[in-house]
Amino acid sequence: MNGIQILLIASVVVIMFFYIVRLRSAIFDLIILTIFSGLAIFFILFPEYTNDIARKMGVGRGADLLFYICIFFFIFIILKMFARIRRLESTLTELVRQQAIKEAQSQSTEVKEEGK
Amino acid sequence: MGSTFILFMPNLINSRSVFIVVPAYNESTSLQLVVHQLLANGYTPIVVDDGSAKSLKPFVPTASAFFIRHKVNLGQGAALQTGISFALEKNAAYIVTFDADGQHDAKNINELLQTLIETNSDVVLGSRFMKGSVHNMTGKRKRLLKLARYINYFFSGLLLTDAHNGLRVMTHAAAKKIQLRENRMAHATEILSQIKKNKLKYIEAPATVLYTDYSRQKGQTVWSSFRIFFDILLNKVFK
Repeated sequence: MNGIQILLIASVVVIMFFYIVRLRSAIFDLIILTIFSGLAIFFILFPEYTNDIARKMGVGRGADLLFYICIFFFIFIILKMFARIRRLESTLTELVRQQAIKEAQSQSTEVKEEGK
Repeated sequence: MGSTFILFMPNLINSRSVFIVVPAYNESTSLQLVVHQLLANGYTPIVVDDGSAKSLKPFVPTASAFFIRHKVNLGQGAALQTGISFALEKNAAYIVTFDADGQHDAKNINELLQTLIETNSDVVLGSRFMKGSVHNMTGKRKRLLKLARYINYFFSGLLLTDAHNGLRVMTHAAAKKIQLRENRMAHATEILSQIKKNKLKYIEAPATVLYTDYSRQKGQTVWSSFRIFFDILLNKVFK
């Protein structure tokens, strides 16, 4: 095992530990996380296998294949984030609106409703 | 409203039951003028302060106009919806949207109301490009609005002469059906989509738009139209 492998495996283990502490109740997420972490450690230890997979898919190197997958993965994450931000925004809007209207209602008793 | 006066307008509209929603963000000089103009014409202004740095309350005579303040800045679309919801609670007969920068003419409201009643429509949209209206726009702005017209048509299905005009008049029933979810400027397109979706009867009427140096400086730039376009796209993707 060389230096970079130790570093990478250590990072994966730390991240996994962090998520396990955070996601105690979400069993499904934990299973997926464990599978991915296991795969990551496996490929860190035996990087030659990524080359085999890449060649089967018609890509030159394993690193390139990973790069392509990453691009789409990040686009997916960004879209998910956009959707979440929009949901948050509409919740915030609803809260601010209700509070603003309530405040205006309590003040509007001052408004005299004259005909002209 | 418990009003006993009926102003002698041709169709006996009680002008106090015409609520004018004025969304404002960091306006002050123009807002004061606009509110006074609206009051002078007998309407009921609702100023929605969209989280301005300093509250706009001192510029609004709260004895005769309503004042609503968002605690944080949400955008013009959100401010409009707040004003419309409030007006509906106050049992407004007609709801008008009106920009705070002074580009509209308060005298146009009556003409638009007449059109609404005569044609028995649900919504009247102001247009600065129709015959009988006055505007002082630069060529660049005009071309941009021409383009916006077709973008609006593509997304909403309504081809109007003026795509982004802040002056609109709607009935109580129509305002109830319109629910704006676009917080920022894309609400202009969203209103059109909802008019189409709810099968509201709409008509365009000429309305004056006069930009002052102030409103030019405050108003939308060419770049902000990209932001609007992006928001419209997002609206379509994440329903």
